[in-house]
Amino acid sequence: MTNASDDAFRAEVRAWMSEHLRGEFDALRDCGGVGDPAYDPKLARRWEQQLARGGWVGIGWPREHGGRALPLPQQVVFHEEYVRAGGPGRLGHIGETLLAPTLMSFGTPEQQRRFLPGILAGTEYWAQGYSEPNAGSDLANVQTRARLEGDHWLVDGQKTWTSWAHESDWIFVVARSEPGSQRHHGLVMLLVPLRQPGVTIRPIRQITGESEFNEVFFDGARTEAALHLGAPGEGWKVAMALLGFERGVSTLGQQAGFEREMECLIEVARRNGAARDPVLRQRIAMAAATLDALRCNALRVLAQDENAPVSRESYIAKFAWSNWRRDFGRLAADVLGAAACLPDDDAVAQKLRQVWLFSRSDTIYAGANEIQLNLIAERALGMPR
Amino acid sequence: MDLRLTEEQRQIADSVAELLANASDSARMRRAAFELGGFDPELWQQVAELGACAIQVPDAHGGLGLGATELVLVAEAFGRRLACVPWFESAVLAAATIRAVGDESASARWLPALASGEQICTLDLGLLERAPLVAQHRGAGWSLDGMLPAVPAAMAAHWLLLPVQDGGDRRLLAVALDAPGVTRRPRDNHDATRPVAAVTLQGVKVADAECLASGAAAGCALATARELAAVVLASEQVGVAQQCLDLTVAYLGQRVQFGKPLATFQALKHRCAQMMVAVELARSAVLGAAREFDGRPAGLRRLRLATMARSLADDAAQTCTQEAIQLHGGVGFTWEYDPHLYFKRAQAARCWLGTPGEWRERLAVALLDEAAT
Repeated sequence: MTNASDDAFRAEVRAWMSEHLRGEFDALRDCGGVGDPAYDPKLARRWEQQLARGGWVGIGWPREHGGRALPLPQQVVFHEEYVRAGGPGRLGHIGETLLAPTLMSFGTPEQQRRFLPGILAGTEYWAQGYSEPNAGSDLANVQTRARLEGDHWLVDGQKTWTSWAHESDWIFVVARSEPGSQRHHGLVMLLVPLRQPGVTIRPIRQITGESEFNEVFFDGARTEAALHLGAPGEGWKVAMALLGFERGVSTLGQQAGFEREMECLIEVARRNGAARDPVLRQRIAMAAATLDALRCNALRVLAQDENAPVSRESYIAKFAWSNWRRDFGRLAADVLGAAACLPDDDAVAQKLRQVWLFSRSDTIYAGANEIQLNLIAERALGMPR
Repeated sequence: MDLRLTEEQRQIADSVAELLANASDSARMRRAAFELGGFDPELWQQVAELGACAIQVPDAHGGLGLGATELVLVAEAFGRRLACVPWFESAVLAAATIRAVGDESASARWLPALASGEQICTLDLGLLERAPLVAQHRGAGWSLDGMLPAVPAAMAAHWLLLPVQDGGDRRLLAVALDAPGVTRRPRDNHDATRPVAAVTLQGVKVADAECLASGAAAGCALATARELAAVVLASEQVGVAQQCLDLTVAYLGQRVQFGKPLATFQALKHRCAQMMVAVELARSAVLGAAREFDGRPAGLRRLRLATMARSLADDAAQTCTQEAIQLHGGVGFTWEYDPHLYFKRAQAARCWLGTPGEWRERLAVALLDEAAT
């Protein structure tokens, strides 16, 4: 079911990856990303720039913004082959897949000219300033304040669960620009530099023992008056549009990553005898079957017309994959046996241990299970609020 | 792999769904299940007139020459309405078996009549354990003796495809169910929408021309048909699960307790949402499997696809039928409300063509035991 030009493109991606993910970058192969102890952020930046020089950043962006405007199937192929080759977690992910499309839709030409090239070249990295201590699932309860003073915005407040802030240069922040406003009214989306005296970043230690996310404190932090994305007061609309860009082609890259994890699990099970346990055999086969079904679901999502309303398969996608992976993490631990809690030098086993713990977060971030079920019940099934 | 459906595919699915929504609504389905022995001849005629029996039959034999994708789209409607017709047995399983045999004269003899619905053909699935059949070749044909305790659609069918052991050789025979020596007796069945009969064979004669395949070819044809049919059966299970979700959401919207509709309670909304996750993931699995079957995948891939479709759909059906009973409360346990019919159908279907556990074990062998590929 592929055509010849996609096959040629696949070969091109494979060849590029095997030619470039080597030498100093060997150390990044198969790394999960920030928070993986083996991940060296400085090296990761050089890798992002290498990717950029190869033309692999912004492959789906329109040409006017410096992208390659590749068709959807080829974007999918790139993500799949990137993961299959052991490409590391992408430091530039938030800028490339979340902020950039939002800039293209809502940004001024000056903002686009100023920020898109840095994302495209892998020289500027972005963090997402949404959640706060009292605005998690209830995001509209944002309390961070922004006020315009002269030619600057001044920002005060606190964001939390901010992935990769300590490795980023900029943050997009949802803040309350109209004092006394309620809920989703009176918000602004600001683009704020992270490296300034008014910003303090404190890493949060996670259940893995490492830090992938942070608390970010704003204490009179400054950004230029023109760096609001969309109109002040309409920050909610921009913030929600940005989340809409999250469901995209990278799903199949993620899928390819899960398939690699499944291969690791099978390798360990065959090695340590877990493959002979009749209960584990059933669970492994079920996990493999469900993983295949997730791929079908992702393809079904991609088969939808871009302008069609959100489809049934889109509504269930996040709940389905995140719960699969959470269960898979526990299966991985059961396959490892006692070795789940006793780290050793075995790279494959180590990957499974990482999955076991990291996958606890899948059902919490980007809309927790409970929020997903609300959305499915109320929006997809039309049950009353 | 492109999962977009064509306009023609949507039309086929819609036309069958529309017919069954009326002609096999709850009242008519119950009448067929409990008063007509689980077979509604009038509905069968309508289904056949719509071309639903001709989907996978090649043009040359009077069919539509379509594939697995069209079969699963239509199957979902049959599951959803528990239509009391042997569509799955005859138009899916038997037609796929005859197609897989690939014998031109057998195809010419049976497929046109199956495509038009004029004749109904079923297959012994070996649902219950039985003593081996005795098949002896005498003169120009076989003589069969034995008892088949549970043959689907045997009362309505004209032909029975029967795999037999003839000495050291395996054969696939077509037995005329009105032949001398054949006795059929309907069995009690909790799933009244898919009737099963005991068939006794006493010195039944089967002519040489009614042997469809022998030896490895017979086993191969049966396996091929079984994998395709498993995906189609999975789609029926998706229909079963979907209907239970819809019935439940509708009921929770009407039923008022504590002064408001039950549908406003978050605990219950979340249960329905989880049903929907199971239904949609299973539907994606079925559509993906069918689309890939249309591209004629290799053996291991077929096993993997069929296991995916059956595992997801059987579990979705079991979960959603159980949840429908629970969330309907007391009336969910009554004969009057429909959830129990779906619950029983879902359980019966789990055992057709291998249980989900058996499919998964076969997949486990391929993943874990065989040499790494």
